[in-house]
Parts: sequence; C-alpha cells; structure tokens
Amino acid sequence: MRKKIGQRIGFSFLFLFLLITLLSLGTIIYFIVAKGAGAISWQFLTQSPKDAMTSGGVAPAIIGTFYLILGSIAFSFPLGLACAIYLCEYSPKGYIINIIRISINNLAGVPSVVFGLFGLAVFVKFFGFGVSILSGALTLGIMVLPQIISASQEALLAVPQSYREASFALGATPWKTIKKAVIPPALPGILTGVILSVGRVAGETAPIIFTAATLYKRGYPNSIFEEVMALPYHIYGLMTEGTHPAQQKEIAYGCAFILLVLVLSISFLAIIIRQRQRRKNG
Amino acid sequence: MKNIRKLFLAAVLILGLTGSAFTEDITIKGSTTVYPVAQATAEKFMDMHPEVRISIQGGGSGFGIAAIIDGTTDIGNASRPIKDKEIKKALSKGIDPKAHVVALDGIAVVVNPSNSVSALTKQQIKDIYTGKTSNWSEIGGSGGRIVVISRDSASGTFETFNKLALDKERVRPDALLQASNQAVATTVTKTPGAIGYVGLGYLTSKVKGVDVNGVEASKDTVRSGEYSLARPLFMYTDGPAKGAVKKYLDFVTSSEGQRLAEKQGYVGLK
Repeated sequence: MRKKIGQRIGFSFLFLFLLITLLSLGTIIYFIVAKGAGAISWQFLTQSPKDAMTSGGVAPAIIGTFYLILGSIAFSFPLGLACAIYLCEYSPKGYIINIIRISINNLAGVPSVVFGLFGLAVFVKFFGFGVSILSGALTLGIMVLPQIISASQEALLAVPQSYREASFALGATPWKTIKKAVIPPALPGILTGVILSVGRVAGETAPIIFTAATLYKRGYPNSIFEEVMALPYHIYGLMTEGTHPAQQKEIAYGCAFILLVLVLSISFLAIIIRQRQRRKNG
Repeated sequence: MKNIRKLFLAAVLILGLTGSAFTEDITIKGSTTVYPVAQATAEKFMDMHPEVRISIQGGGSGFGIAAIIDGTTDIGNASRPIKDKEIKKALSKGIDPKAHVVALDGIAVVVNPSNSVSALTKQQIKDIYTGKTSNWSEIGGSGGRIVVISRDSASGTFETFNKLALDKERVRPDALLQASNQAVATTVTKTPGAIGYVGLGYLTSKVKGVDVNGVEASKDTVRSGEYSLARPLFMYTDGPAKGAVKKYLDFVTSSEGQRLAEKQGYVGLK
C-alpha cells in the first residue's frame, strides 16, 4: 500500500513537471501570437520599414533571414555530412577519433557570441568578406556544424550493420555501399539535425551582430557580399534603438511572430520530407 | 535526395546572383542616438535618389568613429566629438576625420502644470534624481513628495540626461521608469508631484517646462548653446564628403532633412 502511494506521488510530480514545461511553451506561443498576430498584414510582409521604423513592413529582414538560413545550411550540411561519414564509415577506430569526437561535442557548447567574434576576426577582417551575407552564413554554418555532425553520426550508427554486410556481399565498393545502403535509411535522422539547425540559424542574434546584420536597409541584397537585415536582429534593434518605442514594440512582436511561424513551417516541411523518406525506406 | 539536390542548386543560384553596377552604396555605422536621424533621412533620401542604397548599423559612438578610422564605413555617427587620441590614431592611418553636425539633442525637464516650481539648477535636478531631495518644499515648491520619472536605461534620452544632468550617477531606484518620451509626458501630466524629462520635441502645453540654470529650454537656446542639457550630434567622414555621401549629408542638413530630424524629437540646426 505504502509503495503504491509513493509511486503515485512520484508520478504526479513527473506529471506536474511535464505540465510546467508544456505550460511555459504554451505561454510563449500565446503571448507571441496575441501580441504579434495583429501586426501581420500583406503590407507588413512585403514592404521595407517606413517612417523611422514605425510603419511599413519587415520584408528585407525576412528575406535576409532566409538568405542566412540558405547560406549557412548550404555550407554546413555537406561539410557536416562528409565529416560524419568519414568518422563513422571510414576512419579507423582509436583514441584520435575519440579526441575528434570530444572536440566536436565541445564545439557545440561554445556560446554563440564567441562564434560571432570568431566570424568578425576571421571572415569579416582576415578574409576581407566584410559585414556580409557570406560572413554571416559561414559563421552561422560553423556554429551549427557540430549539431549536424552529431545528428548525422547518430543516424549513420543506427543503420544496422547487416545492411553494409549485405551490400559488400553483393560486391559493392565502400563508397557505393555508403551511397546506396547507408545514407538512404539514415537520411531521416540526418534531416532532423538539419531541421534543428535551421531553427537555431533563424533565431540567433549574437553571431550576426558583428558579421552580417544591419539595422536598416531598403530592398533586397544584390550579392552575397552585402550586409542584410535579419529578423532576430531587427527585433533587437526595434526594442533598443529609435525614438518611437511604443510603435516599434508592436512591430517587434510582429517580427517575433513571423520568426516563430518561419521556424515552425520549415520544421514542418522537413518533417514531411522525413516521413515520406521513412515510408519509402520502410 | 533529388529534392535536396534541387534545393541546394537553387540556394547556390540565388546566393550567386550579383547585382547591377549602377547603384551607389553608403554605409553608416555608430551612435544609436544619431541612428533615428540617419534612418529617417535615409528613407526620404532614397525616395528621391533610388540609385543610392543606404545601410545603417548601430554600435555606439565609439564604434562609429573606430569604423571611420578603420575605413570600414562611409559615415561614422557619434553623439560626442571625436577625442584627441582618436584623431591621432586616424592621422597615423592616413585618415582625416571631418565632423558634420547633423542635429542637436536637447532635453527639457518637465513638471506637472499645477506645480509652482518653474526653475531649477542643475544641482537641484541632480539631487532630485539621485534621491538627495525628495520633497518639493526643499526646493521652493508648495510641498508634497516628488515623484521621479525617468527612462529605461536603453533609451538614448536617458543616456544623454544621465551624462549631462547627473554626471553619470545612478538614478534613485524607486524612480518610475517609462519606455518613451510620450509616456513620460503623459505620466507627468497626470501626476501632480511628478518630474520627468523629455526630448525637446515632446515639450507640449500639457506639461510645464522648467528653466535649467535660469535658461528656458527651447530650440533657440539649444541652438545658441545657452541651454546646458543639450549636445550636437555628428556624422564623421574621411576627408570632405564626396559623391553620394556628400549628396546625402547635404540632404540631412537641408531644411527638409532637419524637419525629419525634428520629427524624431531632436532640434534642427536651422
């Protein structure tokens, strides 16, 4: 009897914690939607900021964020996948590999502002890319690299050994085996890593302050060597700069809402791709 | 796999697009106090000159001047004059910083219209905001607690006020913080014992402006330099401005540009 009561109390505590987690998530979404959804209109999505950031839209920031996502993923996805394939499939097992793995995991724990300073020193100044989409995308790409490598590794390791053995038994080369037998079943897991990275890239402010972002610019970038507006930095700018905080706050909440929708819809798209892939493999 | 390849290709294509060579780019960096002036004027300027593209970054006065010295910006914004040390550093790099005053920043101290106090010294204002004085009777008023209203520390107006009136000392912790000039004015209008400060553009008949050190806060006294809670705002260039930068700076100091600056709560030059 006593055991049962203890168990019940334990479970109700676990349930309570679950509830707190869900509640905080729900509160965030509720507040962003309640305060931000009102600002959304066609004009808000398609125009540049106007009248000293008190009206008009945030289109350049949306496009800028989109470019940064595309650029950083285009850089980090192939690189991360290649790293993971090498580490899982080719490299000899040993302590050097372990050191490399530990290093990659540690890289994942580096604060994002440190990546920002790194990007400033290396891409902006040393390579001379300036404050640009290129510098920002590379900085963000390096920031999410560990995440993509880890997720890809997990996914590759989860592919049953028998797949590889069967492929080798048919006379396939290692590369062919990886391409045809290992990567396809691992793809859903790899994509999960990329999805999470997209969310991080879209939302990070610190790495782009010094490398890619500008507070105000009209229209869209013509090349990857131009700086861009970006949603998270625009929110920051609206809340800290300017002389019309009341109107700016509304726009900031609108931006937060767009950011939320953007990240959720990218995740949703990737989930669909993942499910389809899984079904095809299944 | 095919989808991913397509996505990747699209990304490369979009990112690789390079634009037309007919546009002229102006980069502006620096002071967040000057930012609203730059932003508002840049908007109008680009309406008139679509071939010019202006990008404005923040970062603070120090950053703006450093960017001029490094040659990484066309215009460096600053809410303070360049220091001797910075001039030396610039000259050693072959950079010749030129200051352009683009607007004036003046702050009016305001009280409720029912308050009998109509003049304060800078010292009295400092005492009120740091907490040494807490009753109107101590400074010649008709008595009652002083309700101190200030701005949040992110505000440029706060920064200026803190520097010019309080010598960077801490505001008393129980001061009521408001998020905008407008909110300060409204609170002062509604609260009989209140004192606050607003950008000169927000000095309306609903609040009572207080003379500081015997000088009334007005555009004229700010322009003449008599009023002490005021400072000029600068845009720096390397050497005399040329081309599109010159055109833009000419616009900022034109009567149209100055009207836009005043709309942002600053004091125009003319």
